[in-house]
Amino acid sequence: MGSVVLPHLKTGWHVDQAIMSEDDRLVVIRFGRDWDPDCMRQDEILYRIADKVKNFAVVYLCDIDEVPDFNKMYELYDPLTIMFFFRNKHMMCDFGTGNNNKMNWVLEDKQELIDIIETIYKGARKGRGLVVSPKDYSTRYRY
Amino acid sequence: MMKRNFLDEPAPANYVAGLGRGATGFTTRSDIGPAREGPSEEAIKAALARRAEALGQAPPTAYGADKKKDDDDDDDDRFQDPENEVGLFAGGAYDEDDDEADRIYQGVDEKMEKRRKSRREAREKAEREEYERKNPKIQHQFADLKRGLETLTDDDWASLPEVGDLTGRNRRARQAMRQKFYPTPDSVLVNAAGSQFETSVQDEGTATASADTADGTMTNFVDIGKAKTKVLEARLDRSGGDSVTGATNIDPKGYLTSLNRSTTQTAEQVGDIKRVRELLQSVIKTNPKHGPGWIAAARLEEVAGKMVQARSLIAQGCEHCPKNEDVWLEAMRLNDPANAKIIVADAVRHNPKSVKLWVEAMELETELRAKKRVLRKALDIIPHSVVLWKEAVKLEEDPADAKILLARAVELVPLSIELWLALARLETFENAQAVLNKARKAVPTSPEIWIAAARLQEQQGNANKVNVMKRAVQALARVEAMPTREDWIKEAEICEEEGATETCQAIIRETLGWQLEEDDDRKKIWMDDAEASTSRGKYETARAIYAYALRVFLVKKSIWRAAADLEKNHGTKEALWNVLEKAVEACPQSEVLWMMLAKEKWQAGDIDGARIVLGKAFNQNPNNEDIWLAAVKLEAENTQHAAARDLLATARREAGTDRVWIKSVAFERQQGNTDAALDLVNHGLQLYPKADKLWMMKGQIYEADGRLPPAREAYNTGTKACPTSVPLWLLLSRLEEQAGVLVRARSVLDRARLAVPKSAQLWCESVRVERRANNTSQAKTLMAKALQECPHSGLLWAESIWYLEQRTHRRPRLVEAIEKVGNDPILYVAVARNFWVERKLPKAISWFEKAILVDPDYGDTWAWYWKFLSMHGTEEKRGDVLNKLSITEPRHGEVWQRVAKHPGARYRNPEEILEAVVKELE
Repeated sequence: MGSVVLPHLKTGWHVDQAIMSEDDRLVVIRFGRDWDPDCMRQDEILYRIADKVKNFAVVYLCDIDEVPDFNKMYELYDPLTIMFFFRNKHMMCDFGTGNNNKMNWVLEDKQELIDIIETIYKGARKGRGLVVSPKDYSTRYRY
Repeated sequence: MMKRNFLDEPAPANYVAGLGRGATGFTTRSDIGPAREGPSEEAIKAALARRAEALGQAPPTAYGADKKKDDDDDDDDRFQDPENEVGLFAGGAYDEDDDEADRIYQGVDEKMEKRRKSRREAREKAEREEYERKNPKIQHQFADLKRGLETLTDDDWASLPEVGDLTGRNRRARQAMRQKFYPTPDSVLVNAAGSQFETSVQDEGTATASADTADGTMTNFVDIGKAKTKVLEARLDRSGGDSVTGATNIDPKGYLTSLNRSTTQTAEQVGDIKRVRELLQSVIKTNPKHGPGWIAAARLEEVAGKMVQARSLIAQGCEHCPKNEDVWLEAMRLNDPANAKIIVADAVRHNPKSVKLWVEAMELETELRAKKRVLRKALDIIPHSVVLWKEAVKLEEDPADAKILLARAVELVPLSIELWLALARLETFENAQAVLNKARKAVPTSPEIWIAAARLQEQQGNANKVNVMKRAVQALARVEAMPTREDWIKEAEICEEEGATETCQAIIRETLGWQLEEDDDRKKIWMDDAEASTSRGKYETARAIYAYALRVFLVKKSIWRAAADLEKNHGTKEALWNVLEKAVEACPQSEVLWMMLAKEKWQAGDIDGARIVLGKAFNQNPNNEDIWLAAVKLEAENTQHAAARDLLATARREAGTDRVWIKSVAFERQQGNTDAALDLVNHGLQLYPKADKLWMMKGQIYEADGRLPPAREAYNTGTKACPTSVPLWLLLSRLEEQAGVLVRARSVLDRARLAVPKSAQLWCESVRVERRANNTSQAKTLMAKALQECPHSGLLWAESIWYLEQRTHRRPRLVEAIEKVGNDPILYVAVARNFWVERKLPKAISWFEKAILVDPDYGDTWAWYWKFLSMHGTEEKRGDVLNKLSITEPRHGEVWQRVAKHPGARYRNPEEILEAVVKELE
């Protein structure tokens, strides 16, 4: 449902424009494939929160088969990747997973996702390039 | 949901994603993909191609690039090695020229590829094979073995042995693991004690002991103690040898050695013997003709205490190796004399030519006649044996018989020098000469015969008439059998030892210059020779060497002095005078020789002789200050004060050096003529304002009179004239300190340290000033600074350790000081005193002696040693030290100098000074 409603970025140019056009908001891009089950679940959540975070974040979707331009640049090898940009700057976040560049797992808790976006936004406003996620997502806390 | 308008716009053609944004990529993990900077090369290239297509041109191609054009899966590059990237320059602009060049190069490469293709491939293949043959892979080397592994079962694999830890890293830990000590349980001790004593000592206590400990819960300490005493008793009994009667028969002298000898055979020794016995058995079985094997086997049995077996073994050995004389000798040694006689008869039957066996046979006989008979027989069989002949001659009591024997012997063995010499010794003079002449003809290369001839002449008293040694040298040189100089000196020393001094001298005279070139190395060589002879105690030889050297080098002072020293130490007074008189004749310019002569005469009580000598010295060396001062000293010591004063006046006139002035002042001070001394000092200072000793004397004269202000002025002026004179500064500071003006003393020392930096004495004085004023903390700070400035001064270290350290800290500090300073007499004395305080007297003695050895001229060491010895030394030790003291005559030392030079006191010899110094020591 979410993948239908959320705006799609059709080409590399659109991606670039999306990133560059926002001056005061965080740009959240989900790279993946619309038919992928993980992506479907995640898109649902993204769609649910998009309105709640609209004051400080905007959410886009990008099909990595249609737009393969960033696959190498951003190492888009996972089925699902969420990346954050602010004023044409790639924002990093320490999730405790070892990969600070992006989220590459499905986060189905809406509040947690909002918290992450808010934390990154706050850090970005302060000029940080790397922020620490409010929750540690390393595997040792899974059980 | 807000929508941006760009979402509806189409993307511009040929847009390179990320390029317009300046996007940069990242590398999270290098094993997933290489680092990427911005849009990929392929993306740019693809864009270029698309743009070219749009413009209607052929797309630019790198050769081969289009060939391997793949499907849309261009993610292959992510597996590329990031360390070794390819296509580094692919990012540059690629135009038609490049394309053409690429195509031409491709053509060239293809052409080159085709040329001689088959031959090249064949060569490369051969090379590859060659390389593989030379550097075979381990895999190939073990290929056949590997194939053999297939027969192994699983059990085989499972039972492979574990690899031990062969690395050195854990070795210590492993050894520690192996060495574990556990306390021995008391029950074991008691059991052991009990079993021991049941066999050796009658005992009633141990029987109950085992019963008591049987339950194992209680330990009977009484029994353990008893067992211990039993052990001690048993040991004492064993050392006593016989304890049944209760009488002690311990030999007090041999007690310890007998304890050493009474070692029992321990278990492992017994084990060794068993093993060695097996080994030797196999030796004699496999090689029964090998004599040493039999001997070793017999000795082993002897060591094991089985004499019977040893004898039977060696008897078998004699049977098996009858030609081996060692086996026979061993057999004789193992048997008692009666049996040995039988064995030796057998032995000589088997080995009639063995000299050793014959001699042994002779020695086994007890009667003289029997001995002679054996020897006669032996000589019949072996007439050319020198040993046998010598034994035969030794047995003869009658010289006439011996002579006959020897005459026969030299006929048969003409090359034996010993026999010739023995014969010559027995003959009368004329016959001996003849014998020696014959001997010389028989053995022309022997120097011993020549020496014997020379000694013969000396015995007859005509050594001077006939110069045998000269002929000897000529003759020996002719046959080229001249021994080396060292050998000759050795011969000379032997002659001296046996009392033939003239021969000794003759040998040295004729041979010392042999084959030495005419350069001045000779002097050194001869001096060395003489010193070596002296150190061996062969004074005649040394004297002869000096005499010869002096004949060659008449005017060398050093040889004269060495010769005089030899006479002084080991010769008579007359000989010394002779040598010295000859020396001053030969080198009249050498004042040292003159002074030595004068001193010797004076010490012998011949004062007039000494005066005459000094007078002659004046004639030869006018205006020499040493001789002047020697003359003055002579007169002064003999209480001829007027004459001494006259002499000094003349000396000041004739040879007015500062030393003469100083001596003059000192003389007047000693005589107590303060005014005259002052006059002289002032006069002297006008002439020599830079003489610090004169300034010191001036100050001291005033100080002795109690006139402090002029004394201070004298010292002050002195320090200005000679700012580098440490004693002057010290005197000034002490003067101020005596006057009670501590502040001024400090400032004086500060100035002194500025003028003479790094002077340990000045620092030490500063510290002492503080110490005397009871300013210990200030003294300690100063000492710290001082040690920083002069870290290698024993004086400072000793001062700091002795006065500023606690007694318990002294020892480690002393160790540190010795490491820093090294050899220093003051420090060593401090060490010795520390041992003295700690009551380690032998150690103290050794350190005192070390200190004396380091600097025998330092009087304080002697004084401390004497003080020590007068409390703890033996009488002979004290006498020994006094002897050494009077030989060395020390002159220096802090206290020593102060006492020895005190003008009020006059000491005749070092011993008196020593006593006075010991009184001065705190």
